[in-house]
Amino acid sequence: MGYGRIANEKAAGATVGIGKGRSVLTATSAADLPISTAAARPPRRLAAPLWVLALLLLLTFLVIYPLLMLVFGALSDSNPVIDGFGKFKPSAKHFLEVLGNENVHLAFLNALAACGGGTILAVVIGLAFSWIVVRTNTPFRGFIAGASLIPLFVPPLVAGVAWGILGSPKTGLLNTALKWMNIDFRFNFYSMSGLIIVFGMYYAPYVYMFTASALKNMDPSLEEASEVAGASAFTTIFTVTFPLIAPAILAGSLLSFVVMLGIYGVPAALGAPANINVLTTYIFQLTAWSPPLYNTAAAVAILLMVVTAILVWAQQRILSGRSFATVAGKAFRPRSLNLGKWRWFTFSLAMTYLMIVVVLPTLALVIAAFRKFMFFKDFDALFDMRQYSWAHFNSVFDNPLTMLSIWNTLKVGVITAVIGGVLAFAIGYTVFRTQVAGRKSIDLLSTVPVAIPGLVVGVAYLWAWIGLPGGLYGTIWILALAFVARFIPDTVKALSTSFLQIHKELEEAAWICGRGLLGTIRTVVLPLARPGVVASMTLLFVLAIRELGSSLFLYTSDTTVMAVLLLDYYEGGNTGKTAAFSLVQTAILAVLLSFTTWLSRETTQSARFN
Amino acid sequence: MSSALLIEDLVKRFATGKPAVDGVSFDVPAGEIVVLLGPSGCGKTTTLRCVAGLEHPTGGRISIGDRIVSEPERGVLVSPRERDIGMVFQSYAVWPHMTVYQNVAYPLKYRRSSGGGDIAAKVRDTLELVGLGDYAQRSVTSLSGGQMQRVALARSLVYRPQLLLLDEPLSNLDAKLRIRLRDELRRILKQTGMTGLYVTHDQSEAVVLGDRIGVMREGKLLQMAPPDEIYNRPADPFVANFTGASNVLLGKVLARSGDKATIDLGAAGRIEAWTPQPLSPGDKARVALRAENVRLGERGPANAFSGRITERRYQGMQTVYDVEFGGQRVEVLELGTAARHTTDGEIALTLPPDQCWAYRDEGQASVD
Repeated sequence: MGYGRIANEKAAGATVGIGKGRSVLTATSAADLPISTAAARPPRRLAAPLWVLALLLLLTFLVIYPLLMLVFGALSDSNPVIDGFGKFKPSAKHFLEVLGNENVHLAFLNALAACGGGTILAVVIGLAFSWIVVRTNTPFRGFIAGASLIPLFVPPLVAGVAWGILGSPKTGLLNTALKWMNIDFRFNFYSMSGLIIVFGMYYAPYVYMFTASALKNMDPSLEEASEVAGASAFTTIFTVTFPLIAPAILAGSLLSFVVMLGIYGVPAALGAPANINVLTTYIFQLTAWSPPLYNTAAAVAILLMVVTAILVWAQQRILSGRSFATVAGKAFRPRSLNLGKWRWFTFSLAMTYLMIVVVLPTLALVIAAFRKFMFFKDFDALFDMRQYSWAHFNSVFDNPLTMLSIWNTLKVGVITAVIGGVLAFAIGYTVFRTQVAGRKSIDLLSTVPVAIPGLVVGVAYLWAWIGLPGGLYGTIWILALAFVARFIPDTVKALSTSFLQIHKELEEAAWICGRGLLGTIRTVVLPLARPGVVASMTLLFVLAIRELGSSLFLYTSDTTVMAVLLLDYYEGGNTGKTAAFSLVQTAILAVLLSFTTWLSRETTQSARFN
Repeated sequence: MSSALLIEDLVKRFATGKPAVDGVSFDVPAGEIVVLLGPSGCGKTTTLRCVAGLEHPTGGRISIGDRIVSEPERGVLVSPRERDIGMVFQSYAVWPHMTVYQNVAYPLKYRRSSGGGDIAAKVRDTLELVGLGDYAQRSVTSLSGGQMQRVALARSLVYRPQLLLLDEPLSNLDAKLRIRLRDELRRILKQTGMTGLYVTHDQSEAVVLGDRIGVMREGKLLQMAPPDEIYNRPADPFVANFTGASNVLLGKVLARSGDKATIDLGAAGRIEAWTPQPLSPGDKARVALRAENVRLGERGPANAFSGRITERRYQGMQTVYDVEFGGQRVEVLELGTAARHTTDGEIALTLPPDQCWAYRDEGQASVD
């Protein structure tokens, strides 16, 4: 009954149409049909180019302008604060002088040694882990896989501080323990080898992520063929498995190298006491001198950026080359090797790693934070409860800067997440979902920061804003904008996956149904992409609140953030306060992390459509 | 008001390669369903998307009803939302974050000229029409593929657009469901009196649904005709082959008068055939013939030959024979669960002149 109406009306119209319409339409040329008034609407023609222009201008403001100012700084010897911009005399001389400087050479070589050594260790650990998790029947593989990513969340400075407490040559807890055990060996983590070990342990997950997925996607018959041909399981690993995932290993190790190269926290904590400077710590030192050597810092920052850019480019080449003979686009069940009794060996290997990387440093921080003095007469003194108190925490919170830094950090995090999220959505939609001219340039501009270490972003933003009166410098906005610029590639990438999962026809259906572009985005794209949007904003938030490298150059006493304040405490030399604030920062990070994880899970679930 | 679609000399060129649509012209009178049929990459979907406004044509003119909606030469381009069309997508494109009701009500809420009226009643009526009356409050993700396609259909019918576009709507369904939904789709479309443009690569869909079928290949519309004409009078060797005339006999034209031609097949002798082309004596010719139109074991008044069965393939419901005569080979198909002929000895065969179609042989190796 219900559809009778539709049917009748339409049928009536149709019969008339067939009778007349056909002969009329085929006979008349459509040339004398009226052009619809709705057809030509000039403002809409301009909308797309204007939009693209606006995005390009915004990205130029965020990324290109600071970089240009950085180059400007490197090529001159005028100080923007003292001299103003009037006295700018560009010359390559200054830049070349910096490149020829011995200290710069030393910092460069130190950086190569620390990061190179760290990368080798990271490859060994990452490869072993991915093999254990993906290819063996080691017990609790799922747990190991999850836990092995924990180091990614540890702020570098906190890791550095913890290992300083554990491995400082005189008072280090490890050395105290060795003394009790009458072992005549002392650790010294305030050294190049300490730097390498901490780098290698904490950045192994970058290698792991690449190699684990390559191992998962590898056709098991390739290995089976080797074994049928008579090779042992062990030989197969080294002659077939690892060579086949060599591109993944290389991509992972280049990434971890690049990340280490841009890290400030670890070398600041472990290298500085032994006077070992790497590029990042050297750059900061230059700006901390009186008067600050901003021009030299800019020049060294460019050196750091160029090295990073080359490595990132190489890594992208490897990834886009897709020379993975192993990725066949087919779903395989990864082969899992039965290790027999040995699976407990691999299990304990994994546990040892987690122990060293997660448990031991946490314990060290807890002890140092609660203990009044870091001196242990004997082993029993460790359990002497009278030696423990909240004193360090009290003095940390007595400092008005502490609450201010926490509050600032949260503000910067929220601002960064909101601005960055909206911008990334706009960029992602324009690049991946439209055909507008100029979207390639937007894509390119928004990927540029991949090759810029955080510390360089900091120096560039310093140069971009310090000389401008009434500008952003000294506000928390400059921190937020620097973070947005620094993390825009990661955010866009995180979002693009969720865009690509939305079938184009879902949008087209809405257009046909009479919605415009914005209406379609609001009613179809945004609801469907919501889990991705929330997840990438969460990511941005977390990245922003733990960022140290770029904050170093942009904070003032009013806008100090947690990461910077922690560095302050550390350089002040009070281990107890440093450890206490490390714990505070870690706790805040953990709370926020679990809250945002819960939040994004909630939205994902509600997006599962009831 | 006539509600129809008129396409004149439509051209769509992408950045590289041959044009995807190359000078296609046809019209769809009101109330008629036209099916565009062709192998993948023939330009049928691009044509449809040009009509929808989702692709922007490079040349030609598209008019829907009284209105020109696309004419690049004059800078006319009406956006999809203002074309008064409905579209059913290959992937269904039902929005997973909305219920069945919300999906179907969406166009009523947001179209500029939705005609007003009671949205709930319209949605209910349309859901009844597609057989989903009881599903209004369900989440679409809980539906089967066939049901999702019905939602998509309801969503495009609910505002009774002038023109309904269907882009391989059944291709994602399994074979049995496809046949059921195909027949039902025809009923619904005819019941609502919709004007439709339907794109498919499936001949059986085209025959059942189309009032007329347009066969496309490499961006060109080869023939536009009612289904029986496509099947019995294919205007082009590709159409003949695509619709199933898989036997090809090569020869030379001896004579032609009107649409009757005589072809010399060499050792096999002569054959009478129908032809849509102005063949002249001496032309190289290819004669296309459906396997089921060969009459085996019969000696008719014309085109009777005697040959030999070289192979017999029993397929249960039908039997296929390879027959050789005078150096030519044909495949013969006979329906029935019993195979009637054996491979021994000579056998008579008749190729009915009306069902042999002769075309100029342009060395079409690419016909397959």
